[in-house]
Amino acid sequence: MDLISLALLIVILPLSSYFILNIVGNKLPRQGDWLSTGAIFGSFICAVIIFANMFSAYDPNWLIEKTWTWIDLSSVNIPWKLDLGVRLDNLSATMLLMVTLCATLIHLFSTGYMRDHDGKPEDGYRYTSFFSYLSLFTSAMLGLVISGNLFSLFMCWEVMGLCSYLLIGFYRHKPSAANASLKAFMTTRVGDLGLFVGLLAIWNYVGSFAFTDIYAAINNGTLDASLFGTSAAFVIGLGIFIGTVGKSAQFPLQIWLPDAMEGPTPVSALIHAATMVSAGIYLIIRVFPILEYGHVLTIVAYVGGFTSFFAAIIAIKQNDIKKVLAYSTLSQLGYMVLVLGVGSYTTSFFHLITHAVFKACLFMSSGAVIYAMHHEQDMRHMGGLKKKLPITFAAMLITTMAISGVPGFSGFASKDRILAYVYGFVHHHPQHMLLAFFAFATAGLTAFYMFRLIFMTFWNEPHDKHHYDHAHEVSWNMWLPLVVLAGLSFCVIYTGSITGFGFDKIFGAANEWIITLNPAPLVNGTEAAREAMEEAAHHAHYPAMILSILLAGSGILFSYLVYGSRKISAEKISGMVPNFVHRWIDNLYYFDFFYIKIVIQKIFLPFSSKNASFDNTVIDRGLVDGWKDIAKVSYFAVDLVDNEVVDKGMVDGFGGKLPYALGSSLRALQNGKIQRYLTVAVVALMLLFIFRGVL
Amino acid sequence: MEGGGILAGLATNPEAYLLFSLLLFSFGIIATLARKNAIGIFMGVELMLNAAALNFVTFQVLRRGVVANETWLHGHIFSLFVIILAAIEAAVALAIVLRTFGSRQSIDPDRATELRG
Repeated sequence: MDLISLALLIVILPLSSYFILNIVGNKLPRQGDWLSTGAIFGSFICAVIIFANMFSAYDPNWLIEKTWTWIDLSSVNIPWKLDLGVRLDNLSATMLLMVTLCATLIHLFSTGYMRDHDGKPEDGYRYTSFFSYLSLFTSAMLGLVISGNLFSLFMCWEVMGLCSYLLIGFYRHKPSAANASLKAFMTTRVGDLGLFVGLLAIWNYVGSFAFTDIYAAINNGTLDASLFGTSAAFVIGLGIFIGTVGKSAQFPLQIWLPDAMEGPTPVSALIHAATMVSAGIYLIIRVFPILEYGHVLTIVAYVGGFTSFFAAIIAIKQNDIKKVLAYSTLSQLGYMVLVLGVGSYTTSFFHLITHAVFKACLFMSSGAVIYAMHHEQDMRHMGGLKKKLPITFAAMLITTMAISGVPGFSGFASKDRILAYVYGFVHHHPQHMLLAFFAFATAGLTAFYMFRLIFMTFWNEPHDKHHYDHAHEVSWNMWLPLVVLAGLSFCVIYTGSITGFGFDKIFGAANEWIITLNPAPLVNGTEAAREAMEEAAHHAHYPAMILSILLAGSGILFSYLVYGSRKISAEKISGMVPNFVHRWIDNLYYFDFFYIKIVIQKIFLPFSSKNASFDNTVIDRGLVDGWKDIAKVSYFAVDLVDNEVVDKGMVDGFGGKLPYALGSSLRALQNGKIQRYLTVAVVALMLLFIFRGVL
Repeated sequence: MEGGGILAGLATNPEAYLLFSLLLFSFGIIATLARKNAIGIFMGVELMLNAAALNFVTFQVLRRGVVANETWLHGHIFSLFVIILAAIEAAVALAIVLRTFGSRQSIDPDRATELRG
């Protein structure tokens, strides 16, 4: 089986699981959760094979592509052709491995999490739907990853949007969950509008959605065309980036992600670590040449920087264990966007992979804690759990160190590169000093709030004795995923040593295979800038690394002093902050307020009601009802014509009266008297003879 | 075929034969059209057939005076056919009359009006 078929199989396996579960899921043993898990495990095996092929080639230009014509109107003389294609390169192969691995583990975790403590699913019917949604979601994400063009990518993107709606609102009896799912769906829709505009512009200028064609179009200058007073590349890049802003929850469309924590915890792990938010980053990584060529990168960098910093600040004040992780996800996604914005495509991808692994583990660990605490999510009611949940604690500690950037863990390698690139960028462009501030401040804040979570949850004495006494370590299908992902949160996996380059690279950021294998596609006129960027990052490497270790260390230390040993009172520090700042942060910077009270209620609603009244009066009353009147009048006219002319005249006349008259006048001849007939015949014959003689 | 028999005067005086035939035919038509008895109607038909047969023979004989060495006998043969036909017709007609009488105790053709429109 060739790799393209394998790639398709990766998508088809979870997709067929979705259909099977929907049809016969309830009749299967265990409500069919094993089918969904097994399907995604099969995908994982395929992804491993693809990855092994890619890795053994170890070639930055490794690429397998195949396209199929989907719609071709050239046979009817319309030059309109739409292809679907699969593109396997280092990027998608790595991504496939990550997504299938995380998804497999999340499925396995769900088989425990979605059941109660006696091992019974809470509601059999919903239990099956949960797994079918997971399958559909995963297959959409995998389809997005293997897509060789923006069109099929967009389709999978929208399927994911639907599934996120279904999964976030899974506890549909809770109004908050229903609202959150709606919010997520609508907010990402705003971003999708931008993406759609970008796609339309690409179709207009390039005439194809395939990445290969788009890269070629950049190189031959097709996208230099002027559009809306700027270049087409800028419009396309900005549009696609707005799509990412929606999907990856960047400023200013970040509002949906924290609310999405209403979904079951495995869903949070799936959506906010491995799949959906990564899809946004994956998209801008894919179209990076457009962003670079269209000079959108500065906007990208600032959006990412803003998001990472301000989300980190909110995370400090959260008490819900999942909300902390949600804001940390925002912040880390902001990091990826930021580093993409300063020009390092590969670093962004690197952080995407490492983040997906440790964040999936963090979410599932928090899920294990919540499960053990009987669905208690408030960290103030936790505490002292490290003895009760040793495995979960170990996994969570390792991944927390990874996200905080402790040397030796995966987050250190990727975050160090991010900081180095940002530092190097700012060194060359001092006017963008703010970006460096965002990046470094976030590094410190991340370490602080993540260890705050650890200390509040696992340290000290329990705050809620009742819950604490009932808490116990989760079953194997829940801790195994944690252990696997925690094991993958070590630096060695991603740096040189695994490829045989020696032990000395374990703590270094150099020679990571992800970096080597994923160079950004080159486009015209960017080589010099890239070299300058690499050069700057190289020089910035050591200062950035030292600074990041210092910041992470002080963040952890401070966190320990406040929440671990409680040498410093948290209340005292929070009292030092002015009240309006507290209000500002507690209200999430008034974003929701702004969107709901001002944008929606003050702008959209009046506008909609104007539209509605226009629709009611002009369209409905005028046009629709007008048509009714016109139809009525014409009906009468037609009815009249039909009755009088057609029915009475034509049908009755030619069909009834005329034949009747003819028949009644002619029937006299047919009187049955044979001699009369004969007389007529004789007379006629005689007349014939007479006239024959005359003529 | 000169001289003798009933046709002896035909060659010299054919109009008499034709007139006789005409009379015969006219009586036949009148009988056919006017009689109220089916048997009478058939007798009228027989008259007309015989009138026609007589005409055939008459004209066959007249033809001899026009065509030299006439050897055709078409007229005679045709009148033989007419006689055969008349015999058959009489048989069939009598059968019809009998059946008609059997079913309605009358052979008045005006009473048989089932096919009236």
